[in-house]
Amino acid sequence: MSEKYMVEIKKRPWYEWLLWAIWLFAEVSFFQMAVASGVELEPRAATIFWVTFFVLLVVAGVVWFMRRSK
Amino acid sequence: MTDLGKTKLSRRDFLRLLGLGAGATAVGMAAKPMVQPMVKNPSFEARPFADEAGRSQRPWWVKTVDQPTIEIDWAKMNRFSEAYNPETKTGSVRGKGFGGYVGADKEKELNAQSAAFLKKSVQDNKPGYSLKDQALNSSHGLSVAQSFLGPQKAKTPEDWGVSKWTGTPEEAARILRAALRHNGAATVGFVELDENTKKLIYSVDPDGKKLEFTDNPEASEDDTTRYIPNTAKYVIVYTVQMSEETLKRAPTVLGSQTTALAYKRGRQIQGSIQEFLRGLGYMGLGESTTNALGIAPAFGVMAGLGELSRLNRLITPEFGPMVRVFKMLTDLPVAIDKPIDAGIMKFCANCKKCAEACAPGALSFDTEPTWETRGGWNNPGHKAYFEDSTKCMTYWKQVGTNCGVCFAVCPFAKKDKAWIHEWVKATASTAPVMDGFMRTMDDAFGYGVEKDQEAWWHMDLPEYGADSSGML
Repeated sequence: MSEKYMVEIKKRPWYEWLLWAIWLFAEVSFFQMAVASGVELEPRAATIFWVTFFVLLVVAGVVWFMRRSK
Repeated sequence: MTDLGKTKLSRRDFLRLLGLGAGATAVGMAAKPMVQPMVKNPSFEARPFADEAGRSQRPWWVKTVDQPTIEIDWAKMNRFSEAYNPETKTGSVRGKGFGGYVGADKEKELNAQSAAFLKKSVQDNKPGYSLKDQALNSSHGLSVAQSFLGPQKAKTPEDWGVSKWTGTPEEAARILRAALRHNGAATVGFVELDENTKKLIYSVDPDGKKLEFTDNPEASEDDTTRYIPNTAKYVIVYTVQMSEETLKRAPTVLGSQTTALAYKRGRQIQGSIQEFLRGLGYMGLGESTTNALGIAPAFGVMAGLGELSRLNRLITPEFGPMVRVFKMLTDLPVAIDKPIDAGIMKFCANCKKCAEACAPGALSFDTEPTWETRGGWNNPGHKAYFEDSTKCMTYWKQVGTNCGVCFAVCPFAKKDKAWIHEWVKATASTAPVMDGFMRTMDDAFGYGVEKDQEAWWHMDLPEYGADSSGML
């Protein structure tokens, strides 16, 4: 007797792709500004940009994981 | 499913790979500013000028305008005597002027105070005032020949047996820009002298010699007067960069010595270009002493190199206030430039960071610029944020240097490596409503904070302490 599984694949709506694109642009920007602020010898600015970069990365990771587990 | 060695890629995997590739490319591009200096000095990058007159490509948010962003009433403006006149109590606060404004006794007392402070600072090994800082400052005391008529040593076209160089005004502007940049100028612009702009040429130079326009085609100088031929009606205006990283150590000797370095370089450039012009068969009339000939910020504004600011000095879109401005006159017809609007003057209305940082309170806190001058050191006839130069100079004496804190804290004084600076400047130019927020963020990000003096001696800075690739 064989068991049957049904896998439901939901297509992501267009606005979700847009949000991911914005997230990617923000991450690239914060990464550039964090690195460049280090080059500019502006430690406080660099720290703020690095923190923002990693917070956004973690948030995106959590969102991705939660959606994946659904 | 695998079929005869071919791998079938699902659409989902394909999109995922595409996303990863795009992300990697973007991160790679973002890392370029970090990696690039290790493999190639960006200031070595050469490219053609943006137009026939040799102008550089400026950011899109720097708009060329017919009138400068300050109001000028040419009818109320007269040629200014930079030399202090004790009868009218007008003229520069520098040199003899300071004693004239504050009194000889006060000046003597402050000079003694300044000398004592500097000596004690060296003995105490005070950071930024130590022996090595003073020694570095002394290195700029080297005498660089500077004169109105120039060295007059270059071979002229007559010496070569050829006629003088000729070309269109655009070609002339282009070769002058190329020569000036090659000699160390950061930015270059040109102004034509007319009945109005002639008023920006001093009536009396700082050394007390009169500056007179003459129909005689030969420039000359005697014991009392420097004669400017009316044919020498083109003003060459150029900037020389100061080191932003160094001036952020102001008001110490270490911090403010970058000003002296920029003046030294400016003098060298002047002599070189006077010889270049002579070699082409034209005259180059320069500043006889530091800040002579004409009002530098005014010519900088008219030449489109920047805008006037709350500092009552020039702020450029490329280097902020981190420049010194120089000017020369020539009879070589050149393509002239127009003023610019990059939102700088409007930004100053809300910012006031320099005024807050000014320890003696010499800078204006007014929101709008005014016609009312603060003293005989200001030239009336234009709206500005006029400064109290006696307060400024008194503080110079107290700290034993020419300070420069107002330049150092300016939000436009950045190295422009991080994208955010370009976005902020573009926003200031197009959406002044955001200016207050930008100023708040500038503080929050820690920009403009005085930096550790001793750390400067451990830094591997570019030549002259400034990266010339900023504008390119």
